[in-house]
Amino acid sequence: MWLAVLAASLGAAAAGRVLGKAVTAALVVVVPFALWALAIHGLFFPEGRTVLAAFGPARVTAEGLAYAGGIVLRTAALVVVMLAFSTWVEVPVLRAALVRRGVPAQLGYVLSTALGLASTVAERLERIREAQEARGLVVRQSLPGRIVAARLQVVPLVLQLVDEAGERAPALEARGQALPGRRTSYVDEPDSRAQRALRWVLAVASLAVVVSVMVPAVAGVLGGGR
Amino acid sequence: MSHQLTVDAPRRSPLRTFLTILGVAAVVATYAFLIVSEPADVVNGPSASSALVALVGFGLAMVLLFAGILPTLPTTTLALIPVALVLNIVLGQFVGSTLVPIYLDSIGTVLVGYLAGPSAGATTGLLSNLVWSFFNPSVLPFAAGAAAIGALAGLSARLGIVRRFYLVPIAGLVTGFVAAAIAAPIAVIVFGGTATGATGAIIALFRAAGEGLVQSVTTGAFTSDLPDKLVTFSVAAALAYALPRRSTQRFEFVRRYRVLAGAKRTGEPADSKAAPAA
Amino acid sequence: MTPVLTAHVRRFAYDDVGPPAVRDVRLALEPGSLVAALGASGSGKSTLAKIVAGWALQGGHARFEGTLELAPGPDGPGGRLEFSGSRDDPRLRLGAWGQRVAYVPQRPGDLLTGAAASVGEELAFSLEQRGVERGAMRERVVRAARAVGLGELLERHPGRLSGGEQRRLALGCALVERPDVVVLDEPSASLDADGAEALAELVDGLRRDGAAVVMFAAAVDALVRRADRCLLLDGGTSAAEGTPDEVLASSAFAASGVASAGREATGPTDGPAAQAPGGQGSRPLAELDRVTFAYALARGHAARPVLDGACLTAGPGEVIALTGPNGAGKSTALRHFAGLARPLSGTVRIGGTDIAGVPAGRVAATVGTLFQDPRDQLFERTALREVSFGLAALGLARDAARARALEALDAVGLARQADVHPYELSSSEQRLVALATVLARRPTVLLLDEPTVGLDGRALGRLDAAVTDAARAGSAVVLSTHDHAWARRRAHRVLALERGRFAEA
Repeated sequence: MWLAVLAASLGAAAAGRVLGKAVTAALVVVVPFALWALAIHGLFFPEGRTVLAAFGPARVTAEGLAYAGGIVLRTAALVVVMLAFSTWVEVPVLRAALVRRGVPAQLGYVLSTALGLASTVAERLERIREAQEARGLVVRQSLPGRIVAARLQVVPLVLQLVDEAGERAPALEARGQALPGRRTSYVDEPDSRAQRALRWVLAVASLAVVVSVMVPAVAGVLGGGR
Repeated sequence: MSHQLTVDAPRRSPLRTFLTILGVAAVVATYAFLIVSEPADVVNGPSASSALVALVGFGLAMVLLFAGILPTLPTTTLALIPVALVLNIVLGQFVGSTLVPIYLDSIGTVLVGYLAGPSAGATTGLLSNLVWSFFNPSVLPFAAGAAAIGALAGLSARLGIVRRFYLVPIAGLVTGFVAAAIAAPIAVIVFGGTATGATGAIIALFRAAGEGLVQSVTTGAFTSDLPDKLVTFSVAAALAYALPRRSTQRFEFVRRYRVLAGAKRTGEPADSKAAPAA
Repeated sequence: MTPVLTAHVRRFAYDDVGPPAVRDVRLALEPGSLVAALGASGSGKSTLAKIVAGWALQGGHARFEGTLELAPGPDGPGGRLEFSGSRDDPRLRLGAWGQRVAYVPQRPGDLLTGAAASVGEELAFSLEQRGVERGAMRERVVRAARAVGLGELLERHPGRLSGGEQRRLALGCALVERPDVVVLDEPSASLDADGAEALAELVDGLRRDGAAVVMFAAAVDALVRRADRCLLLDGGTSAAEGTPDEVLASSAFAASGVASAGREATGPTDGPAAQAPGGQGSRPLAELDRVTFAYALARGHAARPVLDGACLTAGPGEVIALTGPNGAGKSTALRHFAGLARPLSGTVRIGGTDIAGVPAGRVAATVGTLFQDPRDQLFERTALREVSFGLAALGLARDAARARALEALDAVGLARQADVHPYELSSSEQRLVALATVLARRPTVLLLDEPTVGLDGRALGRLDAAVTDAARAGSAVVLSTHDHAWARRRAHRVLALERGRFAEA
């Protein structure tokens, strides 16, 4: 089942022309996770009975490998679905879509500002590092050296960003951020009747799955607790 | 459409308060469910239904908390939140790759908690996980823990702990305890007890000694969260004292609860504490 | 004509303790008029700008006693707001006030939301908040963009704009709401000649459309001289009022520390220009030898070289000014001397030694750099700690380091502010603190990147003295500036960067 989800989300990513980006981003997350899953459950699974190989304290068991495989597959499905979305979505359009559905405008603001800031912060750190080098900073590879270097770069960054945020607050208010009433958006959100219908179908189906799984699970626990 | 030039003093909206309480209740209920249903035996493979309950329960809580808190945040706080998220990411990346069991990925969240209060801190924690999941979706299920960290940071600031610097590491430890307690069952149920980096190594170590999965993951969570939150709380306090009064006094929370010690002199211990901690 | 906005500030303070930042000032702005408020740093100029714009009243941590009165207009109601510094004061709805009274702060980036992915979106922000329909919104955005000369850049990311373009974007954000009052804080700072002319045209256009424009400045420029009325601030209160000619001729103006090109020229010329530079035979302290440099663009394309076989030598006691329009490569040349940029070909020598392979942190032992944005350098809690920082690494004992830091602060006139957080200082003073951090290291090569931007008259005097003293002590000074008049007065040689090479200007 998880394989089907994986295939579907990869297909969606391909249709959205972000297959390469999504796969790269997913590999960055999933590969370390898979390696650690194998290291933890593949090598050390005291509950395992079918021992395939053993070196000292490490025992490779069939149960452990199966467990690791199941977990990795499930996590991969979750990761790929979400990354297919986040690599495909254009933040301004997402913001417009949220505003149109009456989601508090603050959410879209925080999302787009944070992602925008994150893309410029490397440049800022570079500028700060240069300025500090011009004052005699030589980054040493030792741990204390790196901590000193980090302080010299992080404190100016925090001071700048917090100071700017403080100045930005009245700017946002003066430009109407806190006004009551309806919002509109400059960016258009492409949509069609078929997409709307599909969304409803998917929403209802997900709800059905969630309810059908959760109700017995919760009932079971409540029943068992009595 | 035109608006009057003045506004009334802001009032607490009963609907928003209700939504916030409902959100907290959803977190507590989901957590209780996970503890009760935590599998004693893992051989049968990961339990899909518990994982779904965890995701749905915490997801619902997130929506309720956003609806309850976001519209009530003052603009000063709102403008600070993106900065906090970026700090979380930047500082988290700085240490993220090393094998030290410290993440420092919540310094920004704790700073917002200190300056703007518990509900702002909790929102920042949630948003931080939401934004981070754009790059690494596997952090999303831990959002409840991130919210708790922000809320506890705000609570300690309100109780005057940041004003007495020597108490900050203790508040950090308490928060680390809570964060680990929240994270451990999620790590077991959603990710089958898999963690990367130093925490993963600790889990493997305990598993090698024949411990149960739940036990090992819980130990792993505590050994990383306790020192991490201790350092995070101390560094965030040092940063709060490095800020000019002009920046900190903008926050009504800081003014009302006298979060930061007033005189410039009190800045000194911030440095001497932060250096050994780092 | 009846004023559209009148402000009477009896007393305004950010803190409960301490003296008020502004007291006893009246300002009446008539439609179509231009008012210039002049004041050195610390005169209360920027605070007054923020009171008029309503920004200073946001957040409720300031104490304001006075009156703001806005005449009703087509886009919103007016009203008279009385403040008495108490809890029962009216709470200004900044969103409504800002729709009619637009403000462009000193740092234009402060007005931008940071949430927009394109210039168009940024311009549209306030219209989105008011629920303007998309068709009408787009029309107004395009009109505002054209008015500030950004019509071609609607799709550009705001973070990719040059400093001058960002300033125009902030102006556009202010204009898109068709305000009745436009408040500009230091609008001419860091503008080159073309930019200043475009700004003057824009202000004329606003006035023709009936808007009242009020500008706040620390230096007298052409725009100030065109004002209908002029107000001089000193010590937080009004020191002189009248037409620009009357105010500029007043004795209060002479004492105010506001920079003025005319007055500076008639002053004594004891600058280095009056001295003979170090003899041609002496060994150069800093040298660019046939240096070529280009910034790498995305996808491996090398850009047009910024420096193309450029040669430059600076000897002991010599002051060299680099001029040219924004983006000509002045900063890039300075970065080579500091070891922060490395030439693609050619050699950079400091004190006769090739610095290729020497980390910038070591080059800094002899080369001191003042950057365009002083805030990149500031990270300590007090100005004194800031200046002392790193002196120990130069081999100074604690007491000697402290003494040297105090001396450097005194040299820039900030000895009294030694215990103040650098971020609590005005932007002019921040630049001076950064200068002090450089001077305290006693560099033999002093690099100054646009040092005059945003400085008031007093600070400019301190800068002049620092440059003169450094040259007298035998250092080489290389600076970049777009202020030709200042460059000619202070430098032995003025060079322009043209097609990647230096030529006598």
